[in-house]
Amino acid sequence: MVRPATRSRRQNPADAAPLPHTDHSREDEPPEAAKPKPKPNPKPNPNAKRKAATVTPTDNDLAVRSRRRRKDSRLATAHTARNDGFDSLLEPFYHGKSMTDPIDTERDKWNLLPAFLKVKGLVKQHIDSFNYLLEVELKQIVKTNRTILSDVRPNFYLHFTDICVGKPTRLDENITDFSRYDWTSTVTPNECRLRDSTYAAPILVDIAYWRANREVRRKKMLIGRMPMMLRSSNCVLNGKSEMDMAGLHECPLDPGGYFIVNGTEKVILVQEQMSKNRVIVEVEKNNVVQASVTSFTHERKSKSYVILKNDRIYLKHNVLNEEIPICVVFKALGIHADAEVIKLCAGEDQVYQDIFTPNFEECAKLGIFSQVDALDYVGYRIKIINRYGQRRMQAQEALEALASVILVHVPVQGLNFRAKALYLAFMVKRVLMARHDPRLIDNRDYVGNKRLELAGQLLSLLFEDLFKKFCHDIKMTIDKVLKRGSEEFDALTCIQSHTNHISSGMSRALSTGNWDLKRFRMKRAGVTHVLSRLSYISALGMMTRITSQFEKTRKVSGPRALQPSQFGMLCPSDTPEGEACGLVKNLALMTHITVDDDPIPVQRLVAALGAQDISAANGKDLYIKGAYLVFVNGTPIALTRHPKRFLNDFRKLRRLGRISEFNSIFINHHYHAVSIACDEGRICRPLIVVEKGKSRVTKTALRSLRAGTIDFDGLLSRGMVEYLDVNEENDSNIAMYESDINAATTHLEIEPFTILGAVAGLIPYPHHNQSPRNTYQCAMGKQAMGAVANNQFLRIDSIMYTLVYPQKPMVKTRAIELVKYDKLPAGQNAIVAVMSYSGYDIEDALVLNKGSVDRGFGRCQVFRKWATTLRKYPNGMEDRVGDRIEENNAPIRKHALLDEHGLAMVGEKISSNEVYIMKQVPLNASSTAIGSDYGSGEYRDTPMTYRLEDPSYVDKLMITVNEADSRVIKMQTRQTRRPEVGDKFSSRHGQKGVVGIVAEQVDMPFNDEGIVPDIIMNPHGFPSRMTVGKMLELVAGKAGVLAGEFQYGTAFGGSKVEDMGDILIKNGFSYSGKDFMTSGITGESLPAYIFFGPIYYQKLKHMVQDKMHSRARGPRATLTRQPTEGRSRDGGLRLGEMERDCLIAYGASQLLLERLMLSSDAHQVDICETCGLMGYQGYCQTCKKTEGMTKMTIPYAAKLLIQELLSMNVMARLKLEDEFPA
Amino acid sequence: MSREAYVAPTSAFNTGTTVDPGPGLTTQYICGDCNQKVLLKQGDGIRCKECGHRILYKERTKRMVQFEAR
Repeated sequence: MVRPATRSRRQNPADAAPLPHTDHSREDEPPEAAKPKPKPNPKPNPNAKRKAATVTPTDNDLAVRSRRRRKDSRLATAHTARNDGFDSLLEPFYHGKSMTDPIDTERDKWNLLPAFLKVKGLVKQHIDSFNYLLEVELKQIVKTNRTILSDVRPNFYLHFTDICVGKPTRLDENITDFSRYDWTSTVTPNECRLRDSTYAAPILVDIAYWRANREVRRKKMLIGRMPMMLRSSNCVLNGKSEMDMAGLHECPLDPGGYFIVNGTEKVILVQEQMSKNRVIVEVEKNNVVQASVTSFTHERKSKSYVILKNDRIYLKHNVLNEEIPICVVFKALGIHADAEVIKLCAGEDQVYQDIFTPNFEECAKLGIFSQVDALDYVGYRIKIINRYGQRRMQAQEALEALASVILVHVPVQGLNFRAKALYLAFMVKRVLMARHDPRLIDNRDYVGNKRLELAGQLLSLLFEDLFKKFCHDIKMTIDKVLKRGSEEFDALTCIQSHTNHISSGMSRALSTGNWDLKRFRMKRAGVTHVLSRLSYISALGMMTRITSQFEKTRKVSGPRALQPSQFGMLCPSDTPEGEACGLVKNLALMTHITVDDDPIPVQRLVAALGAQDISAANGKDLYIKGAYLVFVNGTPIALTRHPKRFLNDFRKLRRLGRISEFNSIFINHHYHAVSIACDEGRICRPLIVVEKGKSRVTKTALRSLRAGTIDFDGLLSRGMVEYLDVNEENDSNIAMYESDINAATTHLEIEPFTILGAVAGLIPYPHHNQSPRNTYQCAMGKQAMGAVANNQFLRIDSIMYTLVYPQKPMVKTRAIELVKYDKLPAGQNAIVAVMSYSGYDIEDALVLNKGSVDRGFGRCQVFRKWATTLRKYPNGMEDRVGDRIEENNAPIRKHALLDEHGLAMVGEKISSNEVYIMKQVPLNASSTAIGSDYGSGEYRDTPMTYRLEDPSYVDKLMITVNEADSRVIKMQTRQTRRPEVGDKFSSRHGQKGVVGIVAEQVDMPFNDEGIVPDIIMNPHGFPSRMTVGKMLELVAGKAGVLAGEFQYGTAFGGSKVEDMGDILIKNGFSYSGKDFMTSGITGESLPAYIFFGPIYYQKLKHMVQDKMHSRARGPRATLTRQPTEGRSRDGGLRLGEMERDCLIAYGASQLLLERLMLSSDAHQVDICETCGLMGYQGYCQTCKKTEGMTKMTIPYAAKLLIQELLSMNVMARLKLEDEFPA
Repeated sequence: MSREAYVAPTSAFNTGTTVDPGPGLTTQYICGDCNQKVLLKQGDGIRCKECGHRILYKERTKRMVQFEAR
């Protein structure tokens, strides 16, 4: 490891003075540079604060100031500020710059990124969407379902006037009245984890209802409990400082964004979907062009198609029995004139008109000339959904369907179908265009056509469903009571009796991950996952994960491929290998996902910007040259002759903050469309605005950002940066670097490395690696052991791996600092010699230095949970912890570590088959429901025994009660493991390897300063893998060690190799990173210079101790009598089909016989020669005789098969022949 | 399922806790919130007497424990 090595290294006094690396950049500056500059706009700053601030040389830095603003109370801790969350900003700026250094916009614009993350955070998408649910969506849902009326008594009503979600409470606090006093619960997320309870907050409604001739109003009535997302606006962690978080036993670095349901942490993964309410044009097989749109409103979800097949265009929809000619539909929608239809659909263009014309013929053939004819025709083809049997007139039916089923998202006012007709015409136009020019067929995989569904949206669907059910149930009960005619009826009791429905529905959906909503026919499984807590990065990686709704089995490559449009939005490296490859994606560092925004102001703005309302336009207006349609969320609403000006004006207003910054606008010249989007789930990211060939983020802006007088939102409101979604991004001209800006440039990238996600961001120099290696590292980085969280020892996870001495990587990246991986690292800086050593290093095996292992390299701890619940039974009995069994005044061997209460003693070593909880279960637990039955009071021992081969130590033992008021006992055991042969290690470049040998330190090679490597890696790992980044990491790491500072391997940037070589030379090393070395075995110098230096190595969770397994004889499965399967059941080692094939091919028949029968499930049977059936004890049951019975050995499974066939009335006879025929 | 004799309802139905006829053995627990020592009898509710916190940890054993330092 690096630390001991560097200490011994430099003895010359100039370098020996240990300098904190932050001071390095300041060494050669004049002393006054460190002093705070007089600020141009001094804020009222208390003197005390200033005094405290001058202690730190970096007090002008953004972080200190912003923190000071945030937490005035922490004066005394000004110098400990380094430990606060923002110290990455305290570091000298990029390329070792400090506050007073001149600002170079080119180099320093990346400072926007930490500023962005400070405002947005890493998993802000989840939290934003959940907050939106709490603040907006719930209210909307309740508003649309606010009234419950009674069928029995017409004057009865119950209104939900308001809804809110409170702060999290415990279930056993039993608070019923939330209106009287402001109850603050002391519940913490960690308590819920430990107690296996749900971290949830009460959902409170204000109601007004009719009771005995007057209205009664009640405030804050409990209707259920909403599982609370950690760090959301109502979570107790919201706005807490690092100090408070420690008090709550919570890790300040934990990203939040997940739920705690019954003690397990559950994440609702981001779901990828096709966008709703947008037309997409596709070509099916045999040249059928179709435009489809999934209409989605709060009431209904439906899909409509416009299909062009056999040169005819039809409308297709689920409610229609058959496809309807498009002209009939237009007639039904009230567009009578054929001339108008063709103008709307095809415009003046002769080509499109020619394709469209045959449709009129069809309509004429059907003899449909009026709207009534058309409606009759449509109505006749509508599937009967009317449950009450009374079928309405067909025209009525058709009107109803056209108004509220087909294309529901286009609003119809009264019977004005104009908007819908225009929408349909627009769909037809798209089909015609795609028919004429196949390039205009849409790409389903284009990220701009996708929407991401987040926790808030999914929960709002769920809540809406549950709330409707809740209201329905209440109505039922109310009706039932009112039918009985009780005058003094209070509807309140009904509400209180149904509260469990919403709570249990919510927590069941979260804990099973099954989203079953009747309303949208939505049946999704696997929406939630247990948050992986293998390491900090695995938890973080899970929060940014996106799953897609595509089935994994489909052999299409399209959805799996890397899309150019996902640049900067989704990480190109982080995807799993194998079946989910390319379907599971990860968000990039700066991605933001939009929440729903009200389209009404946008529509108003469109009108205000001079676009003409579309309802007044006719076909000629629509497609006249230079006319552009303005779409809002996919629906055409207006017409403009000056699209560019319109777009610029709109953008200007957005930059001014007049509308939400997440609204996007772009021009599609193919369709002559200006599209505005303000719907939810669009993926977007911030970019720097460029105007007139100049970046709007100026030096001044960066300076004030650095000084903390402005934050990211400030830049946003000043129009210096703006969010672009995928569609708008693809309509922009974005320069990567400031030097690339030309007259056409509209935007500038904030920082290139933000195209990577949080997990890929850990890789140093990823731009020098072969791309699949980065993907491999993304998978392995999640398996690396290290620090899990700051509260890792306060949690009892079912399994937890921690490294004993985790280290920050020598070669960091900016992303590492931003995701704070350096605070919870998972790995160690190993000194690696790239050379061959012994034969134990072939095939990626590593040679480990025994001395390093003794000093703690790769040492890890494994914590396991052993939990039990003492259940309660309906007859009042419950499980209990019994006494240990004693013999001769001492506990028996198995109970050696139980105390007198039957619980294991904390700190003791626990070995295989020892009892840790002497649990007892009542013999008679069933309730007879007759009188008062209490059971017999007898108990049966069901001791909990430690099942592992390797002993552990009891780390802690916790007793608590869960929400059902039964006792929960959790024991945590701890094992400390040192690396051994077979343990898996990996560098950060997808280069994994197992330990091949642990070599004595004396036998290892050493350089001229006596430094011995921790790891020897075989050089054959490099040529085929092409992980140049790993070599660069070694060189930069070595330079960093020598210079006493961290180096950066940030993607598309980072420390330059030339500079690293210079540092190496300055310190007396070869610029190439190669050292002269001496063999530890012979004492001879090695005949080659060895590439030698620190590389960050991760210990992966796969360890031999957990996998090592062998068996000679052992348990067998009861049914087949074959050996059991798996290590946990002491199973056998299977000779599988392919191995069997080998033996057959080779002709090793006796070996086959031995493996497949004798060593497995050989079984003696008596077979009757006459009937060929099995008898027993030399007697045939079928033939009722003993002659001709033969003993035979067959596999038991074969015997079982014959008998199973018999049981199914399939006769299977065995025909016998002489074994050795004459 | 033994229905031979009527068992007096004293045995197992008082406030949902097990009744241990044995002597009042107490163990010391440590509150997960305030670190106070909590003396619990068998059958007591799991709750810190000082702060009402419901997570208790068992105290470390007084016995000597030997580790193998490798």
